[in-house]
Amino acid sequence: MIFIRTFLLFLIFFSSNSLLSQLRIEIRSGLEEPLRIAVVPIEWSIESPPNHYVHEVIKKDLELFGEFKVIDPEVMLSLPVNLEEVFYRDWRLLDIDYLVIGSAKALGDLEVSLDYFIIDIAREKIIHKAIISGSLISIKRIAHNISDKIYEKISGLSGIFSTRIAYVDKPYKSLDRYDLRITDIDGDNDLSLFSSEQPILSPAWSPSGQELAYVSFEEGTSRIYIQELATGTRRPLKREEGINSSPSWSPDGRYIAAVLSKGDNPDIYIYDLRQNSWKQLTSHYGIDTEPDWSESGNSLIFTSNRSGSPQIYEINIKSKRIKRKTFEGTYNARARYLSNGKKIIYIHRKKGVFHVALQDLRSGKLRILTDTLLDESPSVSPNGNVIIYATKDGDRDVLAGVTLNSQTKFTLPSASGGAREPSWSPKID
Amino acid sequence: MTLFQEFLVLAAIICSFSGCTSTSIESAGDATVISADAASSYSEVGMASATTVSFSYDNYNIDAMGSKKIRELANIIKSNDLSVRVEGHCDERGTREYNLALGEKRANAVAELLIINGVSRAQINTVSYGEEKPTSQGSNESSWSENRRAVIKTF
Repeated sequence: MIFIRTFLLFLIFFSSNSLLSQLRIEIRSGLEEPLRIAVVPIEWSIESPPNHYVHEVIKKDLELFGEFKVIDPEVMLSLPVNLEEVFYRDWRLLDIDYLVIGSAKALGDLEVSLDYFIIDIAREKIIHKAIISGSLISIKRIAHNISDKIYEKISGLSGIFSTRIAYVDKPYKSLDRYDLRITDIDGDNDLSLFSSEQPILSPAWSPSGQELAYVSFEEGTSRIYIQELATGTRRPLKREEGINSSPSWSPDGRYIAAVLSKGDNPDIYIYDLRQNSWKQLTSHYGIDTEPDWSESGNSLIFTSNRSGSPQIYEINIKSKRIKRKTFEGTYNARARYLSNGKKIIYIHRKKGVFHVALQDLRSGKLRILTDTLLDESPSVSPNGNVIIYATKDGDRDVLAGVTLNSQTKFTLPSASGGAREPSWSPKID
Repeated sequence: MTLFQEFLVLAAIICSFSGCTSTSIESAGDATVISADAASSYSEVGMASATTVSFSYDNYNIDAMGSKKIRELANIIKSNDLSVRVEGHCDERGTREYNLALGEKRANAVAELLIINGVSRAQINTVSYGEEKPTSQGSNESSWSENRRAVIKTF
């Protein structure tokens, strides 16, 4: 066992060095005056502090979407560790809106406990204090957790720094390499889940974040698979003739909505994961595809060309009543719910160009969020505030993103030049 | 590190020496993920011919030239008792899953025309690849028109 352990450490060492992260967020345009935050380096009363500096991880997180500016410790006028050492004047001089301070101590050999405070400088008030503990190896996770809290306390939205993106990678100009990958939102831990010489499509996270459903053509035809992240175990859903595509999980994780054509024309079906059986939901001679399950579990949105051009429809699962939701333009497809089903995003064609559009379902008002061309596969962050989608940079596939208010636009360049079909994980605690 | 994980690592090491289908464990920080490879990839061994029929944008009607090609191919298929695989493809514009549906409409349109020309339904398989297998990589009209196609493969 000692041999294995040594070998494992060796393996980790090498893999972490060769894990050249594939995707890094690069801001194209951000807020003109982002909120200014100071995160004082954490004081460690521990023999060998971890090599990830907590304040640096937090800085990277909070600046990820261009919403905050986190100042460097070098320009700070003081480095307080506890509340008595905080002089508000020091921070007002630097135009700081929020200050984060903290200290960490050892809990046994491998555990640490970290105390921290989030302070509103203008109001001279502590807006959050907490103690967080965990293993020293997962110090980055602790740091992401603190970033999430800071984000939540300041913006009122839950943080998304502990989330992941699944995507399909097909290296630029390669003909037969498809790779299903996942990455932390900050670009770290970019790992392959499944590789094939045949196309891989439509990755969809289970609500628990522990499994991914996707479509693979490894048998020469489309089939839906579920893969468990921790074990790599794959299980196929029962295959039907023709198209088997577009999986979307029910919020309770018991069902998968998907598309079957049965060799004729595509309709929406629901797969019962306990019974391993399909049940038909829509039935129309047109194309019905791209279902997305609402958070309440009561309805699905999907694309249908039943009116002559692809438009977005919503179906109530119980009553099977169908309502058309989009009326502007002649190409509206692959919608995703956000904001508890009050809004949707989808691909909207305008003057021959494909953009990501946001629509309020009640007012019907539509707003185009992106200025890129040939946009596809939009996916919403768990807090509903950021959208990642696939687009083109010349003839290369790239991922890009935009905040819901369109104020921050970013790209995620990939080394392979072939990233597509991003799918944002649920919040993983 | 649990015993199970150590076992997996050991298995991965043995695999890398013996060249068996790989299951590799990549561990970075505390994220443990096990990756898999497709066990059996579809192969095209024994293919006799491949005939391409073109389509116009967002459309699955077969034009006169395509009909002529399919009619001629149907005669060859019948006289040689070949089996047929029809693949439907789209250009990259629009969404992937919708294009999968459109590609199947194209493959089905070709299959129907083969059947009208006397090929038995039992001899025909159809598959849609949507926009997943372009023959031309560019994002321009000439690439797009090359990629909007159905390929009729005989075996």
